[in-house]
Amino acid sequence: MLILKNLLRRKVRTALSVLGIAIGIAAIIAFNAVASGFKESLNQYARETGAHLMVLVRDVPSAEYSRISREEADEIARMDGVLESSGSTFYMMMMKGFPAFILFGREPDGRPMQRYRNREFRGELVRAEDELLLGSEAAQKLKKNVGDEIELFDRKKFRVVGIYTVGTVWENVGAVVHLRVVQQKLRMGDSIQLAFIYLKDPATRERTKAEIERRFPHLVAVRSEELAGNFENLAYIDWFVWVVSLIAVAVGGLGVLNTMLMTVSERTREIGTLRAVGWSCRRVLGLVLSEGVLISVVGGALGLVAGWLGAELLIRWAPKGYLGTFYSVTLFMKAMAVALGLGFVGTLYPAFRASRLSPIEALKYE
Amino acid sequence: MNDLAIRTVDLVREYEGGTVRALKGVSLEVRRGEHLCVMGPSGSGKSSLMYLIGALDRPTSGEVWLNGRNLEREPDLDAVRATEVGFVFQLHNLLPTLTSLENVEIPMMALGVPRAERRRRAEELLDRMGLSHRRDAIATKLSGGERQRVSIARALANRPAVILADEPTGDVDSKTGGQIMECIQAARAAAGATLVVVTHNPELSKSADRVMMMRDGLLGPASP
Ligand SMILES: Nc1ncnc2c1ncn2[C@@H]1O[C@H](COP(=O)(O)OP(=O)(O)OP(=O)(O)O)[C@@H](O)[C@H]1O
Ligand SMILES: [Mg+2]
Repeated sequence: MLILKNLLRRKVRTALSVLGIAIGIAAIIAFNAVASGFKESLNQYARETGAHLMVLVRDVPSAEYSRISREEADEIARMDGVLESSGSTFYMMMMKGFPAFILFGREPDGRPMQRYRNREFRGELVRAEDELLLGSEAAQKLKKNVGDEIELFDRKKFRVVGIYTVGTVWENVGAVVHLRVVQQKLRMGDSIQLAFIYLKDPATRERTKAEIERRFPHLVAVRSEELAGNFENLAYIDWFVWVVSLIAVAVGGLGVLNTMLMTVSERTREIGTLRAVGWSCRRVLGLVLSEGVLISVVGGALGLVAGWLGAELLIRWAPKGYLGTFYSVTLFMKAMAVALGLGFVGTLYPAFRASRLSPIEALKYE
Repeated sequence: MNDLAIRTVDLVREYEGGTVRALKGVSLEVRRGEHLCVMGPSGSGKSSLMYLIGALDRPTSGEVWLNGRNLEREPDLDAVRATEVGFVFQLHNLLPTLTSLENVEIPMMALGVPRAERRRRAEELLDRMGLSHRRDAIATKLSGGERQRVSIARALANRPAVILADEPTGDVDSKTGGQIMECIQAARAAAGATLVVVTHNPELSKSADRVMMMRDGLLGPASP
Protein backbone atom coordinates (compact mmCIF):
# COMPACT_ATOMS: atom_id res chain seq x y z
CA MET A 1 0.00 0.00 0.00
CA LEU A 2 2.82 2.38 0.91
CA ILE A 3 4.90 1.41 -2.10
CA LEU A 4 2.14 2.05 -4.56
CA LYS A 5 0.96 5.25 -2.92
CA ASN A 6 4.47 6.65 -2.90
CA LEU A 7 4.88 5.91 -6.57
CA LEU A 8 1.50 7.31 -7.51
CA ARG A 9 2.21 10.53 -5.65
CA ARG A 10 4.48 11.73 -8.45
CA LYS A 11 2.66 10.21 -11.35
CA VAL A 12 4.54 11.98 -14.12
CA ARG A 13 7.92 11.28 -12.64
CA THR A 14 7.14 7.65 -11.97
CA ALA A 15 5.68 7.29 -15.45
CA LEU A 16 8.82 8.78 -16.99
CA SER A 17 11.13 6.43 -15.17
CA VAL A 18 8.90 3.49 -16.06
CA LEU A 19 9.10 4.69 -19.65
CA GLY A 20 12.89 4.91 -19.45
CA ILE A 21 13.13 1.28 -18.41
CA ALA A 22 10.47 0.29 -20.94
CA ILE A 23 12.38 1.87 -23.82
CA GLY A 24 15.59 0.16 -22.80
CA ILE A 25 13.92 -3.23 -22.58
CA ALA A 26 12.00 -2.62 -25.80
CA ALA A 27 15.31 -1.92 -27.53
CA ILE A 28 16.77 -5.19 -26.26
CA ILE A 29 13.75 -7.15 -27.41
CA ALA A 30 13.36 -5.49 -30.80
CA PHE A 31 17.01 -5.54 -31.83
CA ASN A 32 17.53 -9.07 -30.62
CA ALA A 33 14.36 -10.37 -32.21
CA VAL A 34 15.36 -8.98 -35.59
CA ALA A 35 18.99 -10.06 -35.28
CA SER A 36 18.17 -13.56 -34.17
CA GLY A 37 15.36 -13.59 -36.71
CA PHE A 38 18.01 -13.19 -39.37
CA LYS A 39 20.26 -15.88 -37.94
CA GLU A 40 17.35 -18.17 -37.33
CA SER A 41 16.24 -17.80 -40.95
CA LEU A 42 19.69 -18.95 -42.04
CA ASN A 43 19.35 -22.03 -39.89
CA GLN A 44 15.83 -22.59 -41.08
CA TYR A 45 17.00 -22.36 -44.67
CA ALA A 46 19.59 -25.02 -44.00
CA ARG A 47 17.12 -27.20 -42.10
CA GLU A 48 14.47 -26.99 -44.80
CA THR A 49 16.85 -28.41 -47.38
CA GLY A 50 16.76 -31.53 -45.25
CA ALA A 51 20.51 -31.95 -45.61
CA HIS A 52 22.39 -33.42 -42.68
CA LEU A 53 25.61 -31.58 -43.37
CA MET A 54 26.62 -28.58 -45.46
CA VAL A 55 30.15 -28.50 -46.76
CA LEU A 56 31.88 -25.25 -47.65
CA VAL A 57 35.31 -23.66 -47.55
CA ARG A 58 36.56 -23.10 -44.03
CA ASP A 59 36.71 -19.54 -42.70
CA VAL A 60 34.90 -17.72 -45.50
CA PRO A 61 32.76 -14.82 -44.29
CA SER A 62 29.92 -15.85 -46.61
CA ALA A 63 29.18 -18.99 -48.60
CA GLU A 64 29.29 -16.78 -51.68
CA TYR A 65 33.11 -16.92 -51.53
CA SER A 66 33.27 -20.67 -51.11
CA ARG A 67 34.54 -22.86 -53.99
CA ILE A 68 34.55 -26.64 -54.02
CA SER A 69 35.94 -28.35 -57.13
CA ARG A 70 34.00 -31.02 -59.01
CA GLU A 71 36.61 -33.63 -58.04
CA GLU A 72 36.30 -32.81 -54.36
CA ALA A 73 32.53 -32.86 -54.58
CA ASP A 74 32.60 -36.22 -56.31
CA GLU A 75 34.96 -37.67 -53.75
CA ILE A 76 32.63 -36.58 -50.95
CA ALA A 77 29.67 -38.09 -52.80
CA ARG A 78 31.48 -41.44 -52.97
CA MET A 79 32.23 -41.54 -49.26
CA ASP A 80 30.78 -44.32 -47.12
CA GLY A 81 27.42 -43.50 -45.69
CA VAL A 82 26.74 -40.59 -48.04
CA LEU A 83 23.44 -41.06 -49.82
CA GLU A 84 23.56 -37.93 -51.91
CA SER A 85 25.74 -34.86 -52.27
CA SER A 86 24.06 -32.05 -54.13
CA GLY A 87 25.96 -29.02 -55.37
CA SER A 88 24.61 -25.56 -54.85
CA THR A 89 25.54 -22.09 -55.98
CA PHE A 90 24.01 -18.73 -55.39
CA TYR A 91 24.71 -15.07 -55.71
CA MET A 92 23.23 -11.81 -54.69
CA MET A 93 21.97 -10.12 -57.85
CA MET A 94 21.38 -6.49 -58.58
CA MET A 95 17.75 -6.23 -59.53
CA LYS A 96 15.78 -3.07 -60.14
CA GLY A 97 13.28 -2.46 -57.37
CA PHE A 98 14.83 -5.01 -55.00
CA PRO A 99 17.31 -4.18 -52.22
CA ALA A 100 18.62 -7.70 -52.67
CA PHE A 101 17.66 -10.56 -54.92
CA ILE A 102 19.25 -13.97 -54.46
CA LEU A 103 19.64 -16.31 -57.39
CA PHE A 104 19.98 -19.92 -56.29
CA GLY A 105 21.65 -22.48 -58.56
CA ARG A 106 20.41 -26.04 -57.99
CA GLU A 107 21.02 -29.44 -59.56
CA PRO A 108 17.76 -30.36 -61.34
CA ASP A 109 17.69 -33.87 -59.90
CA GLY A 110 18.92 -32.99 -56.43
CA ARG A 111 16.92 -32.96 -53.25
CA PRO A 112 17.47 -29.23 -52.65
CA MET A 113 15.52 -28.64 -55.87
CA GLN A 114 12.77 -31.08 -54.83
CA ARG A 115 12.33 -29.12 -51.67
CA TYR A 116 10.54 -26.27 -53.50
CA ARG A 117 7.75 -28.61 -54.48
CA ASN A 118 5.71 -28.16 -51.30
CA ARG A 119 1.97 -27.57 -50.79
CA GLU A 120 2.13 -23.97 -51.96
CA PHE A 121 4.15 -24.73 -55.11
CA ARG A 122 2.64 -24.03 -58.49
CA GLY A 123 4.06 -25.28 -61.81
CA GLU A 124 7.05 -27.51 -62.54
CA LEU A 125 10.63 -27.71 -61.30
CA VAL A 126 13.58 -26.45 -63.34
CA ARG A 127 14.93 -28.96 -65.89
CA ALA A 128 16.76 -26.80 -68.41
CA GLU A 129 19.14 -23.88 -68.27
CA ASP A 130 16.59 -21.38 -69.60
CA GLU A 131 14.01 -22.24 -66.96
CA LEU A 132 13.49 -20.58 -63.63
CA LEU A 133 11.47 -20.80 -60.42
CA LEU A 134 10.35 -17.53 -58.94
CA GLY A 135 9.79 -16.88 -55.25
CA SER A 136 6.22 -15.84 -54.52
CA GLU A 137 7.17 -12.39 -53.18
CA ALA A 138 9.36 -11.72 -56.18
CA ALA A 139 6.63 -12.97 -58.55
CA GLN A 140 4.14 -10.64 -57.00
CA LYS A 141 6.44 -7.67 -57.23
CA LEU A 142 7.48 -8.40 -60.82
CA LYS A 143 3.89 -9.30 -61.75
CA LYS A 144 5.03 -12.56 -63.31
CA ASN A 145 3.21 -15.83 -63.45
CA VAL A 146 3.95 -19.39 -64.50
CA GLY A 147 4.61 -19.40 -68.26
CA ASP A 148 5.80 -15.80 -68.41
CA GLU A 149 9.23 -14.81 -69.69
CA ILE A 150 11.71 -12.84 -67.67
CA GLU A 151 15.06 -11.25 -68.46
CA LEU A 152 17.44 -11.55 -65.56
CA PHE A 153 20.85 -10.45 -66.84
CA ASP A 154 22.99 -10.27 -69.96
CA ARG A 155 19.84 -10.09 -72.09
CA LYS A 156 19.22 -13.74 -71.22
CA LYS A 157 15.58 -14.76 -71.25
CA PHE A 158 14.20 -17.29 -68.76
CA ARG A 159 10.83 -18.95 -68.70
CA VAL A 160 9.08 -19.01 -65.33
CA VAL A 161 8.14 -22.67 -64.86
CA GLY A 162 7.15 -22.57 -61.20
CA ILE A 163 6.40 -20.29 -58.28
CA TYR A 164 7.40 -21.33 -54.78
CA THR A 165 6.80 -20.23 -51.23
CA VAL A 166 9.11 -21.50 -48.49
CA GLY A 167 9.51 -20.73 -44.83
CA THR A 168 12.66 -18.67 -45.19
CA VAL A 169 11.50 -15.15 -45.92
CA TRP A 170 14.38 -13.96 -48.08
CA GLU A 171 14.21 -17.00 -50.33
CA ASN A 172 10.79 -15.91 -51.45
CA VAL A 173 12.27 -12.70 -52.88
CA GLY A 174 14.62 -14.66 -55.12
CA ALA A 175 14.71 -17.16 -57.92
CA VAL A 176 16.02 -20.67 -58.53
CA VAL A 177 17.86 -21.62 -61.72
CA HIS A 178 19.91 -24.52 -63.06
CA LEU A 179 23.22 -24.90 -61.22
CA ARG A 180 25.17 -24.11 -64.40
CA VAL A 181 23.54 -20.70 -64.89
CA VAL A 182 25.22 -19.33 -61.82
CA GLN A 183 28.45 -21.20 -62.54
CA GLN A 184 28.63 -19.53 -65.96
CA LYS A 185 27.63 -16.11 -64.70
CA LEU A 186 30.33 -16.18 -62.02
CA ARG A 187 32.89 -17.91 -64.30
CA MET A 188 33.42 -20.59 -61.71
CA GLY A 189 33.76 -23.49 -64.13
CA ASP A 190 32.15 -26.59 -62.72
CA SER A 191 32.95 -25.85 -59.12
CA ILE A 192 30.22 -25.33 -56.56
CA GLN A 193 29.91 -23.18 -53.44
CA LEU A 194 28.09 -25.50 -51.09
CA ALA A 195 27.49 -29.21 -51.02
CA PHE A 196 24.31 -30.41 -49.33
CA ILE A 197 25.09 -33.82 -47.86
CA TYR A 198 22.32 -36.37 -47.28
CA LEU A 199 23.28 -39.46 -45.27
CA LYS A 200 21.97 -43.00 -45.45
CA ASP A 201 21.87 -43.06 -41.69
CA PRO A 202 21.68 -39.76 -39.74
CA ALA A 203 23.46 -41.47 -36.86
CA THR A 204 26.71 -41.41 -38.87
CA ARG A 205 26.65 -37.64 -39.11
CA GLU A 206 29.41 -36.90 -36.62
CA ARG A 207 31.66 -39.55 -38.13
CA THR A 208 31.09 -38.29 -41.67
CA LYS A 209 31.66 -34.71 -40.58
CA ALA A 210 34.99 -35.65 -39.04
CA GLU A 211 35.98 -37.71 -42.04
CA ILE A 212 35.26 -34.90 -44.53
CA GLU A 213 37.19 -32.40 -42.42
CA ARG A 214 40.09 -34.84 -42.10
CA ARG A 215 40.32 -35.49 -45.83
CA PHE A 216 39.83 -31.85 -46.85
CA PRO A 217 41.48 -29.64 -44.28
CA HIS A 218 40.35 -26.50 -46.15
CA LEU A 219 36.68 -27.51 -45.97
CA VAL A 220 34.25 -27.50 -43.10
CA ALA A 221 31.18 -29.71 -42.68
CA VAL A 222 28.53 -27.85 -40.74
CA ARG A 223 25.51 -29.42 -39.08
CA SER A 224 22.67 -27.85 -41.08
CA GLU A 225 20.77 -26.50 -38.13
CA GLU A 226 23.92 -24.68 -37.02
CA LEU A 227 24.72 -22.94 -40.26
CA ALA A 228 24.51 -19.43 -38.80
CA GLY A 229 26.98 -20.40 -36.11
CA ASN A 230 29.60 -21.17 -38.77
CA PHE A 231 29.81 -17.52 -39.73
CA GLU A 232 31.58 -15.95 -36.84
CA ASN A 233 31.07 -12.50 -38.29
CA LEU A 234 27.39 -12.92 -37.48
CA ALA A 235 28.32 -13.01 -33.83
CA TYR A 236 29.27 -9.37 -34.16
CA ILE A 237 25.66 -8.58 -34.94
CA ASP A 238 24.77 -9.97 -31.55
CA TRP A 239 27.53 -8.05 -29.94
CA PHE A 240 26.48 -4.83 -31.59
CA VAL A 241 22.86 -5.41 -30.67
CA TRP A 242 23.74 -5.94 -27.03
CA VAL A 243 25.91 -2.83 -26.90
CA VAL A 244 23.14 -0.70 -28.36
CA SER A 245 20.57 -2.25 -26.03
CA LEU A 246 22.77 -1.85 -22.99
CA ILE A 247 23.21 1.84 -23.71
CA ALA A 248 19.44 2.22 -23.95
CA VAL A 249 19.06 0.27 -20.76
CA ALA A 250 21.73 2.24 -18.89
CA VAL A 251 19.79 5.40 -19.68
CA GLY A 252 16.69 3.77 -18.21
CA GLY A 253 18.66 2.76 -15.13
CA LEU A 254 19.91 6.29 -14.61
CA GLY A 255 16.30 7.41 -14.80
CA VAL A 256 15.39 5.11 -11.95
CA LEU A 257 18.42 6.21 -9.95
CA ASN A 258 17.48 9.84 -10.40
CA THR A 259 13.82 9.29 -9.56
CA MET A 260 14.63 7.35 -6.44
CA LEU A 261 17.24 9.85 -5.26
CA MET A 262 14.70 12.62 -5.67
CA THR A 263 11.97 10.77 -3.90
CA VAL A 264 14.26 9.91 -1.01
CA SER A 265 15.39 13.49 -0.50
CA GLU A 266 11.83 14.76 -0.88
CA ARG A 267 10.63 12.31 1.70
CA THR A 268 13.45 12.78 4.21
CA ARG A 269 10.98 13.85 6.84
CA GLU A 270 8.63 10.95 6.20
CA ILE A 271 11.45 8.47 6.29
CA GLY A 272 12.59 10.01 9.58
CA THR A 273 9.08 9.55 10.91
CA LEU A 274 9.09 5.90 9.92
CA ARG A 275 12.38 5.45 11.71
CA ALA A 276 11.09 7.38 14.74
CA VAL A 277 8.07 5.11 15.17
CA GLY A 278 10.27 2.05 15.16
CA TRP A 279 10.87 1.07 11.54
CA SER A 280 14.31 -0.51 11.22
CA CYS A 281 16.95 0.45 8.64
CA ARG A 282 16.23 -2.77 6.83
CA ARG A 283 12.53 -2.10 6.62
CA VAL A 284 13.13 1.37 5.20
CA LEU A 285 15.68 -0.08 2.78
CA GLY A 286 13.12 -2.66 1.73
CA LEU A 287 10.45 -0.04 1.17
CA VAL A 288 12.59 2.12 -1.11
CA LEU A 289 13.99 -0.91 -2.94
CA SER A 290 10.51 -2.25 -3.55
CA GLU A 291 9.48 1.05 -5.06
CA GLY A 292 12.41 0.96 -7.47
CA VAL A 293 11.91 -2.68 -8.32
CA LEU A 294 8.21 -2.11 -8.93
CA ILE A 295 9.09 0.66 -11.37
CA SER A 296 11.38 -1.68 -13.23
CA VAL A 297 8.96 -4.60 -13.22
CA VAL A 298 6.24 -2.43 -14.74
CA GLY A 299 8.74 -0.82 -17.09
CA GLY A 300 10.12 -4.21 -18.03
CA ALA A 301 6.69 -5.65 -18.75
CA LEU A 302 5.78 -2.65 -20.86
CA GLY A 303 9.12 -2.94 -22.61
CA LEU A 304 8.50 -6.55 -23.55
CA VAL A 305 5.25 -5.64 -25.22
CA ALA A 306 6.64 -2.48 -26.81
CA GLY A 307 9.70 -4.36 -28.04
CA TRP A 308 7.59 -7.01 -29.63
CA LEU A 309 5.37 -4.41 -31.30
CA GLY A 310 8.43 -2.41 -32.32
CA ALA A 311 10.13 -5.39 -33.91
CA GLU A 312 7.02 -6.36 -35.83
CA LEU A 313 6.66 -2.76 -36.98
CA LEU A 314 10.29 -2.60 -37.97
CA ILE A 315 10.09 -5.62 -40.23
CA ARG A 316 6.93 -4.32 -41.85
CA TRP A 317 8.51 -0.99 -42.48
CA ALA A 318 11.71 -2.57 -43.82
CA PRO A 319 11.57 -3.86 -47.42
CA LYS A 320 9.12 -6.69 -47.36
CA GLY A 321 10.37 -10.18 -47.06
CA TYR A 322 13.97 -9.69 -45.99
CA LEU A 323 13.71 -9.61 -42.25
CA GLY A 324 11.97 -11.91 -39.92
CA THR A 325 11.71 -11.88 -36.16
CA PHE A 326 12.55 -14.62 -33.80
CA TYR A 327 11.63 -14.56 -30.14
CA SER A 328 12.80 -16.97 -27.56
CA VAL A 329 11.73 -17.39 -23.97
CA THR A 330 15.36 -16.87 -23.04
CA LEU A 331 15.33 -13.47 -24.70
CA PHE A 332 12.26 -12.37 -22.76
CA MET A 333 13.68 -13.73 -19.55
CA LYS A 334 17.05 -12.09 -20.14
CA ALA A 335 15.39 -8.76 -20.84
CA MET A 336 13.23 -9.01 -17.75
CA ALA A 337 16.27 -9.92 -15.67
CA VAL A 338 18.08 -6.89 -17.04
CA ALA A 339 15.11 -4.70 -16.08
CA LEU A 340 14.96 -6.12 -12.58
CA GLY A 341 18.70 -5.88 -12.14
CA LEU A 342 18.64 -2.28 -13.27
CA GLY A 343 15.80 -1.33 -10.98
CA PHE A 344 17.58 -3.01 -8.13
CA VAL A 345 21.02 -1.53 -8.77
CA GLY A 346 19.58 1.90 -9.57
CA THR A 347 17.68 1.94 -6.31
CA LEU A 348 20.32 0.42 -4.10
CA TYR A 349 22.17 3.66 -3.46
CA PRO A 350 19.07 5.82 -2.83
CA ALA A 351 17.66 3.11 -0.59
CA PHE A 352 20.90 2.87 1.30
CA ARG A 353 20.89 6.62 1.81
CA ALA A 354 17.33 6.52 3.04
CA SER A 355 18.09 3.78 5.52
CA ARG A 356 21.08 5.69 6.90
CA LEU A 357 19.03 8.78 7.75
CA SER A 358 19.13 9.41 11.46
CA PRO A 359 15.62 9.92 12.77
CA ILE A 360 16.25 13.21 14.54
CA GLU A 361 18.09 14.76 11.63
CA ALA A 362 15.29 13.71 9.36
CA LEU A 363 12.65 15.12 11.68
CA LYS A 364 14.38 18.48 11.85
CA TYR A 365 14.62 18.63 8.09
CA GLU A 366 12.37 21.26 6.60
CA MET B 1 14.16 1.23 41.14
CA ASN B 2 11.74 -1.08 39.39
CA ASP B 3 8.94 1.39 39.84
CA LEU B 4 10.86 3.89 37.70
CA ALA B 5 9.70 4.25 34.13
CA ILE B 6 12.43 6.68 33.18
CA ARG B 7 15.77 7.34 34.79
CA THR B 8 18.55 9.46 33.36
CA VAL B 9 21.95 9.80 34.95
CA ASP B 10 24.08 12.86 34.29
CA LEU B 11 23.00 13.13 30.69
CA VAL B 12 25.19 15.21 28.42
CA ARG B 13 24.41 15.85 24.78
CA GLU B 14 26.74 17.91 22.64
CA TYR B 15 26.25 18.81 19.00
CA GLU B 16 28.65 19.93 16.31
CA GLY B 17 31.68 18.28 17.83
CA GLY B 18 31.16 19.75 21.29
CA THR B 19 30.65 23.39 20.33
CA VAL B 20 26.96 23.21 21.25
CA ARG B 21 26.15 21.77 24.67
CA ALA B 22 22.42 21.19 24.64
CA LEU B 23 22.32 19.10 27.84
CA LYS B 24 24.85 19.65 30.56
CA GLY B 25 24.19 16.81 32.97
CA VAL B 26 20.52 16.01 33.42
CA SER B 27 19.47 13.51 36.04
CA LEU B 28 15.79 12.70 36.14
CA GLU B 29 13.57 10.04 37.62
CA VAL B 30 9.99 9.46 36.55
CA ARG B 31 7.82 6.93 38.35
CA ARG B 32 5.57 4.50 36.53
CA GLY B 33 2.27 6.11 35.72
CA GLU B 34 3.49 9.55 36.61
CA HIS B 35 2.58 12.60 34.52
CA LEU B 36 5.55 14.95 34.26
CA CYS B 37 5.50 18.31 32.57
CA VAL B 38 8.73 19.91 31.35
CA MET B 39 8.77 23.63 30.64
CA GLY B 40 11.49 26.01 29.70
CA PRO B 41 12.60 28.63 27.20
CA SER B 42 13.33 27.89 23.61
CA GLY B 43 16.73 26.36 23.03
CA SER B 44 17.07 25.18 26.59
CA GLY B 45 17.41 21.53 25.55
CA LYS B 46 13.89 20.11 26.08
CA SER B 47 13.70 18.38 22.72
CA SER B 48 17.22 17.05 23.08
CA LEU B 49 16.20 15.40 26.34
CA MET B 50 13.03 13.95 24.84
CA TYR B 51 14.94 12.46 21.90
CA LEU B 52 17.34 10.72 24.30
CA ILE B 53 14.55 9.33 26.46
CA GLY B 54 12.64 8.30 23.35
CA ALA B 55 15.61 6.32 22.00
CA LEU B 56 15.80 8.53 18.93
CA ASP B 57 19.31 9.63 19.76
CA ARG B 58 22.28 8.51 21.82
CA PRO B 59 23.87 10.73 24.51
CA THR B 60 27.41 12.08 24.46
CA SER B 61 27.73 10.76 27.99
CA GLY B 62 25.46 9.64 30.80
CA GLU B 63 22.81 6.94 30.97
CA VAL B 64 19.21 6.55 29.98
CA TRP B 65 17.12 3.82 31.58
CA LEU B 66 13.77 3.12 30.07
CA ASN B 67 11.44 0.66 31.81
CA GLY B 68 14.41 -0.83 33.59
CA ARG B 69 16.57 -1.18 30.48
CA ASN B 70 19.80 0.68 29.97
CA LEU B 71 19.56 2.07 26.45
CA GLU B 72 23.32 2.15 26.14
CA ARG B 73 23.30 -1.63 26.15
CA GLU B 74 20.48 -1.87 23.62
CA PRO B 75 21.99 -2.64 20.23
CA ASP B 76 18.70 -2.13 18.48
CA LEU B 77 17.08 1.20 19.29
CA ASP B 78 14.53 0.67 16.50
CA ALA B 79 12.94 -2.11 18.48
CA VAL B 80 12.94 0.01 21.65
CA ARG B 81 11.21 2.83 19.78
CA ALA B 82 8.67 0.45 18.34
CA THR B 83 7.72 -1.21 21.61
CA GLU B 84 8.63 0.93 24.63
CA VAL B 85 7.74 4.50 23.74
CA GLY B 86 5.06 6.39 21.91
CA PHE B 87 6.21 9.75 20.57
CA VAL B 88 3.95 12.69 19.76
CA PHE B 89 5.84 15.36 17.85
CA GLN B 90 5.24 19.08 17.70
CA LEU B 91 4.49 18.76 14.03
CA HIS B 92 2.24 15.78 13.62
CA ASN B 93 4.55 14.16 11.02
CA LEU B 94 1.86 12.04 9.45
CA LEU B 95 2.60 10.41 6.11
CA PRO B 96 0.70 12.71 3.76
CA THR B 97 -0.48 10.14 1.23
CA LEU B 98 -1.93 7.74 3.75
CA THR B 99 -5.30 7.78 5.45
CA SER B 100 -5.70 8.25 9.21
CA LEU B 101 -6.15 4.53 9.60
CA GLU B 102 -3.03 3.66 7.62
CA ASN B 103 -0.97 6.19 9.54
CA VAL B 104 -1.92 4.55 12.80
CA GLU B 105 -0.99 1.16 11.36
CA ILE B 106 2.57 2.22 10.52
CA PRO B 107 4.21 1.45 13.90
CA MET B 108 2.44 -1.90 14.04
CA MET B 109 3.98 -2.82 10.70
CA ALA B 110 7.39 -2.50 12.32
CA LEU B 111 6.40 -5.29 14.70
CA GLY B 112 4.86 -7.44 12.00
CA VAL B 113 1.34 -7.30 13.44
CA PRO B 114 -1.02 -9.09 11.01
CA ARG B 115 -3.05 -6.89 8.75
CA ALA B 116 -6.48 -7.60 10.20
CA GLU B 117 -5.25 -7.06 13.74
CA ARG B 118 -3.57 -3.79 12.72
CA ARG B 119 -6.78 -2.56 11.22
CA ARG B 120 -8.85 -3.50 14.19
CA ARG B 121 -6.53 -1.82 16.67
CA ALA B 122 -6.16 1.30 14.55
CA GLU B 123 -9.94 1.64 14.28
CA GLU B 124 -10.29 1.27 18.01
CA LEU B 125 -7.64 3.92 18.70
CA LEU B 126 -9.17 6.38 16.27
CA ASP B 127 -12.56 5.81 17.90
CA ARG B 128 -11.04 6.70 21.24
CA MET B 129 -9.65 9.90 19.73
CA GLY B 130 -13.15 10.71 18.48
CA LEU B 131 -12.07 10.32 14.88
CA SER B 132 -14.14 7.35 13.72
CA HIS B 133 -15.71 9.49 11.01
CA ARG B 134 -12.27 10.52 9.69
CA ARG B 135 -10.77 7.04 9.41
CA ASP B 136 -10.41 7.01 5.67
CA ALA B 137 -9.52 10.66 5.22
CA ILE B 138 -6.11 11.36 3.66
CA ALA B 139 -3.79 12.98 6.20
CA THR B 140 -3.45 16.22 4.26
CA LYS B 141 -7.22 16.72 4.33
CA LEU B 142 -7.36 16.72 8.14
CA SER B 143 -7.42 19.83 10.31
CA GLY B 144 -4.46 20.58 12.60
CA GLY B 145 -6.23 19.23 15.65
CA GLU B 146 -7.37 16.09 13.87
CA ARG B 147 -3.86 15.41 12.62
CA GLN B 148 -2.45 15.73 16.09
CA ARG B 149 -5.07 13.32 17.42
CA VAL B 150 -4.20 10.83 14.70
CA SER B 151 -0.57 11.12 15.72
CA ILE B 152 -1.56 10.43 19.33
CA ALA B 153 -3.38 7.32 18.17
CA ARG B 154 -0.23 6.37 16.24
CA ALA B 155 1.90 6.86 19.39
CA LEU B 156 -0.40 4.47 21.25
CA ALA B 157 -0.47 1.85 18.51
CA ASN B 158 2.00 -0.57 20.07
CA ARG B 159 0.71 0.00 23.63
CA PRO B 160 3.84 1.71 24.94
CA ALA B 161 4.45 2.06 28.68
CA VAL B 162 5.86 5.56 28.15
CA ILE B 163 4.27 8.36 26.16
CA LEU B 164 6.45 11.31 25.19
CA ALA B 165 4.91 14.46 23.79
CA ASP B 166 7.13 17.31 22.60
CA GLU B 167 4.97 20.42 22.40
CA PRO B 168 1.99 18.50 21.09
CA THR B 169 -0.12 21.65 21.07
CA GLY B 170 2.51 23.94 19.63
CA ASP B 171 0.94 24.06 16.22
CA VAL B 172 -2.75 24.63 17.09
CA ASP B 173 -4.88 27.25 18.82
CA SER B 174 -5.40 27.05 22.57
CA LYS B 175 -8.91 25.57 22.43
CA THR B 176 -7.76 22.74 20.18
CA GLY B 177 -4.68 22.46 22.35
CA GLY B 178 -6.90 21.81 25.34
CA GLN B 179 -8.75 19.06 23.48
CA ILE B 180 -5.49 17.45 22.42
CA MET B 181 -4.21 17.50 25.97
CA GLU B 182 -7.43 15.85 27.12
CA CYS B 183 -6.96 13.13 24.53
CA ILE B 184 -3.43 12.45 25.70
CA GLN B 185 -4.56 12.42 29.34
CA ALA B 186 -7.37 10.02 28.59
CA ALA B 187 -5.08 7.71 26.67
CA ARG B 188 -2.58 7.72 29.45
CA ALA B 189 -5.22 7.00 32.04
CA ALA B 190 -6.64 4.14 29.99
CA ALA B 191 -3.24 2.55 29.47
CA GLY B 192 -1.81 3.42 32.86
CA ALA B 193 1.16 4.77 30.97
CA THR B 194 3.83 7.19 32.08
CA LEU B 195 3.56 10.57 30.38
CA VAL B 196 6.15 13.27 29.80
CA VAL B 197 4.91 16.42 28.11
CA VAL B 198 6.99 19.37 26.98
CA THR B 199 5.03 22.58 26.70
CA HIS B 200 5.28 26.34 26.81
CA ASN B 201 1.72 26.68 27.96
CA PRO B 202 1.32 27.00 31.75
CA GLU B 203 -2.38 26.09 31.42
CA LEU B 204 -1.47 22.65 30.17
CA SER B 205 0.92 22.03 33.02
CA LYS B 206 -1.82 22.23 35.62
CA SER B 207 -2.99 18.68 35.19
CA ALA B 208 0.53 17.30 35.64
CA ASP B 209 1.65 15.46 38.78
CA ARG B 210 4.92 17.34 38.67
CA VAL B 211 6.35 20.24 36.68
CA MET B 212 10.05 20.72 36.02
CA MET B 213 11.92 23.52 34.37
CA MET B 214 14.71 23.27 31.81
CA ARG B 215 17.17 26.13 31.79
CA ASP B 216 20.23 26.25 29.62
CA GLY B 217 20.76 22.51 29.48
CA LEU B 218 20.01 21.82 33.12
CA LEU B 219 16.79 20.51 34.66
CA GLY B 220 15.47 21.82 37.95
CA PRO B 221 12.23 22.21 39.87
CA ALA B 222 9.75 24.74 38.52
CA SER B 223 9.96 28.10 40.27
CA PRO B 224 6.70 28.91 42.05
N1 LIG C 1 21.19 18.67 15.55
C1 LIG C 1 21.65 19.77 16.17
N2 LIG C 1 22.81 20.31 15.75
C2 LIG C 1 23.30 21.40 16.36
N3 LIG C 1 22.71 22.01 17.35
C3 LIG C 1 21.54 21.54 17.81
C4 LIG C 1 20.95 20.38 17.23
N4 LIG C 1 19.80 20.12 17.88
C5 LIG C 1 19.69 21.06 18.81
N5 LIG C 1 20.72 21.91 18.78
C6 LIG C 1 20.95 23.03 19.70
O1 LIG C 1 20.83 22.54 21.01
C7 LIG C 1 20.13 23.47 21.83
C8 LIG C 1 18.93 22.80 22.44
O2 LIG C 1 18.02 22.49 21.42
P1 LIG C 1 16.60 21.85 21.73
O3 LIG C 1 15.96 21.62 20.39
O4 LIG C 1 16.81 20.67 22.59
O5 LIG C 1 15.87 22.99 22.50
P2 LIG C 1 14.32 23.11 22.90
O6 LIG C 1 14.29 23.37 24.34
O7 LIG C 1 13.59 21.93 22.42
O8 LIG C 1 13.88 24.38 22.08
P3 LIG C 1 12.43 24.72 21.51
O9 LIG C 1 11.59 25.09 22.63
O10 LIG C 1 12.71 25.83 20.57
O11 LIG C 1 11.98 23.48 20.80
C9 LIG C 1 19.79 24.62 20.92
O12 LIG C 1 20.74 25.63 21.11
C10 LIG C 1 19.88 24.08 19.56
O13 LIG C 1 20.28 25.07 18.65
MG1 LIG D 1 12.01 21.63 21.06
